[in-house]
Amino acid sequence: MTNVFDGFKSQKRMKVGLFIPCYVDQFYPQVGIATLQLLEKLGVKAHFPKQQTCCGQPMANSGCERDAIPVYHNFVDTFQDYDYVVGPAGSCVYHVRKHFNIIDQTPQVEHVRTNTRELFDFIINVLGISEIPGSFPHKVGLHLSCHGQRGLHQANESEMTPVRDGQLKRLLTSMKGLEFTELDRNDECCGFGGTFCVSEAGISARMGQDRVKDHVRNGTQVLTGGDMSCLMHLEGIIRRGKLPIKVMHAAEILNGAIL
Amino acid sequence: MSHSQRSDIFLLDAERTTWHDETLWFVRQKRDKAVYALPEFQDLRELASQIKNHTLSKLDFYLTQFEEAAKRNGVQVHWAADAAEHNTIVLGLIKKHGATRVVKSKSMLTEECHLNPHLIKHGVEVIDTDLGERIIQMREEAPSHVVLPAIHLKKEDVGDTFHIHLGTAKGNNDPQQLTEAARQHLREKFLAGEVAISGVNFAIAETGSVVVCTNEGNADLGVNLAKVHIACMGMEKLIPRLSDLSVFTRVLTRSATGQPVTTYTSHFTKPAPGKEMHIVIVDNGRTKQLGRPDFRASLKCIRCGACMNTCPVYRRSGGHSYDFTIPGPIGAILSPNIDMRKHASLPFASTLCGSCTDVCPVKIDIHTQLYKWRQVLAEEGEIPASKKWSMRLLSSVLSRPGVYGLGGKVARQGLRFLPHGLTHAKGYNPWAIARELPEPPKQSFREWYNQQQKNS
Amino acid sequence: MSSREKILAAVKANQPEELPLPDVPDFTGDGSLEKFTTILEGIGGKVVPIRGVTHLDVVIQELFPTDERVASTLMASTVLVDALTPIEVLAAVDVAVLRGEFGVAENGTIWLPEANMLNRALPMITQHLVLVLNHEDIVPTMHQAYAKLGSVGDYGIFLAGPSKTADIEQSLVIGAHGARSLTVLLV
Repeated sequence: MTNVFDGFKSQKRMKVGLFIPCYVDQFYPQVGIATLQLLEKLGVKAHFPKQQTCCGQPMANSGCERDAIPVYHNFVDTFQDYDYVVGPAGSCVYHVRKHFNIIDQTPQVEHVRTNTRELFDFIINVLGISEIPGSFPHKVGLHLSCHGQRGLHQANESEMTPVRDGQLKRLLTSMKGLEFTELDRNDECCGFGGTFCVSEAGISARMGQDRVKDHVRNGTQVLTGGDMSCLMHLEGIIRRGKLPIKVMHAAEILNGAIL
Repeated sequence: MSHSQRSDIFLLDAERTTWHDETLWFVRQKRDKAVYALPEFQDLRELASQIKNHTLSKLDFYLTQFEEAAKRNGVQVHWAADAAEHNTIVLGLIKKHGATRVVKSKSMLTEECHLNPHLIKHGVEVIDTDLGERIIQMREEAPSHVVLPAIHLKKEDVGDTFHIHLGTAKGNNDPQQLTEAARQHLREKFLAGEVAISGVNFAIAETGSVVVCTNEGNADLGVNLAKVHIACMGMEKLIPRLSDLSVFTRVLTRSATGQPVTTYTSHFTKPAPGKEMHIVIVDNGRTKQLGRPDFRASLKCIRCGACMNTCPVYRRSGGHSYDFTIPGPIGAILSPNIDMRKHASLPFASTLCGSCTDVCPVKIDIHTQLYKWRQVLAEEGEIPASKKWSMRLLSSVLSRPGVYGLGGKVARQGLRFLPHGLTHAKGYNPWAIARELPEPPKQSFREWYNQQQKNS
Repeated sequence: MSSREKILAAVKANQPEELPLPDVPDFTGDGSLEKFTTILEGIGGKVVPIRGVTHLDVVIQELFPTDERVASTLMASTVLVDALTPIEVLAAVDVAVLRGEFGVAENGTIWLPEANMLNRALPMITQHLVLVLNHEDIVPTMHQAYAKLGSVGDYGIFLAGPSKTADIEQSLVIGAHGARSLTVLLV
């Protein structure tokens, strides 16, 4: 696999649109900033088209995918002229790739669906970079988001194999001093589930609390992952419990740690 | 009551929820161990899925082939359009033989048809002989899982029940001793049984055989001692060839409990000389589901329960929260076909994590069907009006970049300047019951980006 | 229209376009006696190698010294059992000694057809079950097992170990309603 500094030439010619999910835009701008800066360090100057809003998942998951159609069209219109659309969110990227199938499949729609990529998938499989040298001497609890893992196949699923490997794990492994937490349950859902967190509030809270307890029990200092939706839910529980765990999106770790 | 309302009741006992969750997770882990040990397991899943897909696409052919083969074996075949007809047929056969003592091995189909109350109403004693089923029968409860009907009960609960019904010592919670007491009690029932009812795990079209899988041997004991065997089956239990059993016997129990196979895999083809065997083939909504292209794959189900064991929602809410014969993820995609209004909350009792789809031995796309049922329910007007309208509103905001940007700014500013007690009031902010809201940043990403562009 | 006709008509109308029936590969594996024994012992079965069936009664006497009521196809029985034996007699059998046709290594199961049972209820109603199995008659997986069978006859079972249950709080209890123990005598 190539080093960070190779391949810059081909990357400069790629036109990459930055897709920042609505809740990241509004509540976790630092994740968007880290994504932009990380891509730049890896040789990609991504552009953020302001017309973007949302991928439509909240409405679709609530049963209102018909109502989300205008939002889908806005997404496609926004991004149709980019070679790649890169977003730091497996959940949203999965929704675009899988569920935009209900609108008329024009060449633009197909192009956007095929080329919308999750950030770490883009780094590993399009940029060909699997090592990002850096330092992060902390015990890191990796939260695998369901859509990223089971939906986009970015990591092995415990239902299939005992092998615990994945894109984000590989990238973080190159961080000096980083130790991964061995969780009791490798990839149980955090319980956010979009509107599920209010329609089944009790179960959602319980699931999140159980995930957090797994991290606490096994010594996590920094809880990270590729989806701010899961992390927002877990962080909310961590902060309510005043627990000594810092929550960071993996883009922030990789961006901040590049030497 | 919706699933979330029932779950809230279940969750009140936090410790018991932990115990229930851990018990079922343990079963999932046993399944994992068995799966990891079998290199061809994923190939077997694919084969099982294709065999079932094929069968469902030629179901009329296989049903008639099965019936002809069974009849040639001297087996009587009956057809029931719905639960009521099934119950009438079964009761009719029992009455025809002047029988009053019936033993029944595990059959989710007979649960679905509410057979027991119907028989009891007409003066027939029906004893469920599977230990878990017998326990809940004594307690007058419904099963909470398709394979482990009493999984929601602790040994203390069973001890109390057996003390009342079997006269075991008060406070005796030893599973070994309780099982022995049940063995003695049920042995009497087996010996006195006149008619034995069984379920069907697999019906072999080419031979007319029914295959029943148990660990306890209760199906065989009941059937082989009684004079009449009535095997009740959902019409989707068919598989084409005897050889196909090689695939299904290898994936069923590994998926269900992590065992390589059930203790008894029994093939009933012809009744013993002088005895009678009947098969009741039941529709009860299955042809309707067959006609739904997005949902017909749910008929591939072999009732292994793996989806329940892995479902983080099921484990923390229990089978009774689903208020349907078949609970858990598979129940949530079968039930709206039966009663969309009553079961409207079930497809939403999920985060769509996809674990169920991953463990299903016949590759039913469960989480995709949950998503699709949500669309159907919303279109049929079966989701709460408040949800419908808030999603409409959200859509109109999110399809207009300007409105979205402004709305977000207002929300963030509100969060920054309103007191915590107001923003986190549990009465109207369900998020805040268990969590803190995110810290509102001064600028959104797009505001930062715009500023960067201006500065450069 | 009868229910049968209604149902078949609905099936015909609602079923999808025909999808292909796959060929099932002959997945094979470890068919060794070691594997079979390990698995069977792991699920509560007992495996005892014996020299031959001529002194089976001595072996049974050693294994079950206090049990007197023995029914068997392979040795002198103290209880005579056939298809017409009354239930009370069947219920009193302590030990049944029958012939297992073949074993399956992947899961420790043994094929027991009706012809080897004396009475269909005997293998379950006996307190203890003994199956005599030829050590060479072991196949690796269920694929070879069903291929070997060809037909399942009128009634036949694959039996994997003694009856069991874990229905009381997932605690495994050996000996549920069927035989309390399974002993396999390997010749």
